[in-house]
Amino acid sequence: MLETIAEILLTTIAVGLVTAGILAILVWVRNLTRKLSALRLFIQIVAVAVIFLGLIIGPFGVAEWSYLGSAPKDIAIGKNIMGRPYPDGLSVPTFACYYASGRTSTCVVWQLQSYIFPYWETSSTYLTTGLERLGIAFGLLVVMSLIFGRFFCGWICPFGLYMDLLTRLRKTLKIRYWSLSEKANQALRQSRYLIIAAFLILSAILGMRAIAGVELIPEAELGRYLEMPFCQVCPAKPLFVLAEGALGYMNLDYALSKTIGDFALTGWYLTSINIIILGVVTVGSFKVRRLWCRICPLGGLIALFSRFGPFKKLSLIKLTKVEEKCTKCGICKRVCPPQVTEVYDKKGGDVTASDCILCFRCVEMCPYEDCLSVEVAGKKIYKSKNWLKEEEE
Amino acid sequence: MASEIEKGSRYIPEMSKSEIEELGNSIKTSSIKVMEQNIEKMKKTWPNRPEAMEYFDEISNFFGRREKEIREQKEAGKKLIGYSCMFAPIEFILAADAIPVRVGSGWYDAAKLGDRIMPVEVCPVIRSTVGAKMVSLSPYLELSDAIISPLTCDGRTKLSEILSDFKPIWYMTPPRVKDDPQSLSLWKEEMQVIKGKIEELTGNKITKDNLRSSIEKMQQATKAFRRLQDLRKGPPVITGRDAMLVNQTSLWDNIERWTQKTNELCDELEKRVEQKDYACPPDTSRVMVTGTPMLWPDSWKVPNLIEESNPKGLLVVDEQCSGDRILYDPVGVDEWTMSDMFDAVSERYLMASTCPCFTSEQGNEDRVNWIMNRIKEYKVDGVIYYVVRGCILYAMEYARIKRILDQMGIPVYYLDTEYTREDVGQMKTRIEAFLEMLEARIDI
Repeated sequence: MLETIAEILLTTIAVGLVTAGILAILVWVRNLTRKLSALRLFIQIVAVAVIFLGLIIGPFGVAEWSYLGSAPKDIAIGKNIMGRPYPDGLSVPTFACYYASGRTSTCVVWQLQSYIFPYWETSSTYLTTGLERLGIAFGLLVVMSLIFGRFFCGWICPFGLYMDLLTRLRKTLKIRYWSLSEKANQALRQSRYLIIAAFLILSAILGMRAIAGVELIPEAELGRYLEMPFCQVCPAKPLFVLAEGALGYMNLDYALSKTIGDFALTGWYLTSINIIILGVVTVGSFKVRRLWCRICPLGGLIALFSRFGPFKKLSLIKLTKVEEKCTKCGICKRVCPPQVTEVYDKKGGDVTASDCILCFRCVEMCPYEDCLSVEVAGKKIYKSKNWLKEEEE
Repeated sequence: MASEIEKGSRYIPEMSKSEIEELGNSIKTSSIKVMEQNIEKMKKTWPNRPEAMEYFDEISNFFGRREKEIREQKEAGKKLIGYSCMFAPIEFILAADAIPVRVGSGWYDAAKLGDRIMPVEVCPVIRSTVGAKMVSLSPYLELSDAIISPLTCDGRTKLSEILSDFKPIWYMTPPRVKDDPQSLSLWKEEMQVIKGKIEELTGNKITKDNLRSSIEKMQQATKAFRRLQDLRKGPPVITGRDAMLVNQTSLWDNIERWTQKTNELCDELEKRVEQKDYACPPDTSRVMVTGTPMLWPDSWKVPNLIEESNPKGLLVVDEQCSGDRILYDPVGVDEWTMSDMFDAVSERYLMASTCPCFTSEQGNEDRVNWIMNRIKEYKVDGVIYYVVRGCILYAMEYARIKRILDQMGIPVYYLDTEYTREDVGQMKTRIEAFLEMLEARIDI
């Protein structure tokens, strides 16, 4: 009884603090062109806190097979989905990295690759079959993409926050940014799908023994690294693992170096490559705003479903433009972090683009009243304003 | 070779000093008279004119307070940089601690003088500027140390050539297509060159800090201007001519002082909205002008007629580079770095402009959309499409605008005129007929 009261009290305090934080930000940021950005930063930080809740609420120093114990994700979300244990946590289309132990949910890219190995289905870890798990992960991805689109990228994704923080650092240092040419951007965007195809095929090849009973690469399943080929080059993995290591919650050996058998050396090489990739992406996103978002395969997957033909109608969050009010001054194009041009190019109506991370910086910076607006379920919740006026309230 | 034969200036024939002085003085006298008359007319139509307007009356005099100020500041070492068109980056001029001033001319008498050299087919704005140069009439043109000349229309292109005998001319070539991928980079190169030239002339470097403060100054001016425009959206608290005068003084006034005075005017007008103290009856037909710039003082002809005729009209908004386009668009800076500020300034002058000199596959749609939006926002009853003879870019776009306005059910009247006072009677009849028609429509 007392415990329940304490829990309710804690939740109330947490919710209260968050609301107070949002209010404080809105009051503090009087400049109309920075209000939404400040709110977004706040929500990103809250989202990261929720995703890596384990770092806050413990138990700390989770064992190697954390899902067997009372891991934070089990406390936060619960173990059972549809009456079956689902120890990895729900899949969200953000870089909620699997390798960091404190997470409450798991990156859908990891799940997609991992569940291609149905031989896990008999293990003590999962009671669901590989196909079921794949279905849940993929289904959640499709549903969330259809409804929220790339809202996850702009407002939730921890790696997005990392890039935004780099941008903020650059801003404070007053260093100029580089813009990529339209051609380079297009090339990056298209290469996302190559990456997706490559990692899925690689996963299947490595898991061939389980799928078709043929082992294409000897002892492939033993090399833990190669089970999830994309994760081994994903810049988010070393970032979160190192961050957790730095915070003292994680034994780095576990996530970054431990391999079995003949793959031991490969693991070391892969980890080195991975950290180099993180370095390149870090330097790159310091100079180019939201660089990774342009090549991110997860973003590509969401983009694929969110703006796909007839399903467009399902998307909850839309960016709309009133053609007459636009003078094509080009501000929306210049301030866009992933350099989306559709908002500028399209004439009017629904201007949401698949590469748009829905950060709404363009709406915030558009100087013409009511020209751009954010629609949630058909209702306009945020409109462009004459931001020269400071809010009177 | 031309340079061997040519003596003196390339276009303007030599005139004796006494002739220049005589003509100059007579035009100056008549110009002062016209300015006074215009202000009187404005006071007559709006007897209860706010006190804050007095400042603008004073500053509107070309040969008065502002000229003296500029002369004093020039003696103190400041540079005056003229520009002939709204494509010139005012922020850069301000950042380099120079005085920006627009040098286009609206003198009818000077246009007659310009006829001596220029054929009548040429736009009278150009002829008038040439005429003003012949007799050294415009103090701003005479005092400027250099002139930024964006080559937007044919008239301005040749005007800069004529003026180049007298002043250093800095050419800027705006791309005629805004949406092409290379347009903006070409324009940025032009801006970079102009920035360098401004720095060279003034000897002041344009830095992050002074550019930021000049951008913020102009943003404040835009804010004040938009405040005034927002007031004009509602019931008629200010006559169109007064608002136009306020707008146009920003072209030569000290922008910070102008902002302050405009805000004072808006304060006063806001009180009047509450008191329902209107400049004219609220059911006066609301008219929008678009087309050729109407430059102070002589081009007040048409606005005077609109607001004095019987039935009266009220100018609520315009789509001209002598009015709304001067200050409406702010420079939107994302990051206060030099490169982003530079890009923002460049984009503001090219992309946000709705000048008819642009063309594109969509056919300069921005201007059409802008007019449509204005009509809705300001509840415009009718549009007067003002074109002076020779202003072919505006004249050619009329056909399209008319088709669109017809479909919107908004009457539009094509008013073609000249820089002359002789057609006032005829203009009056035409404008009155149009306004009568508007009034009849409103009554229905």
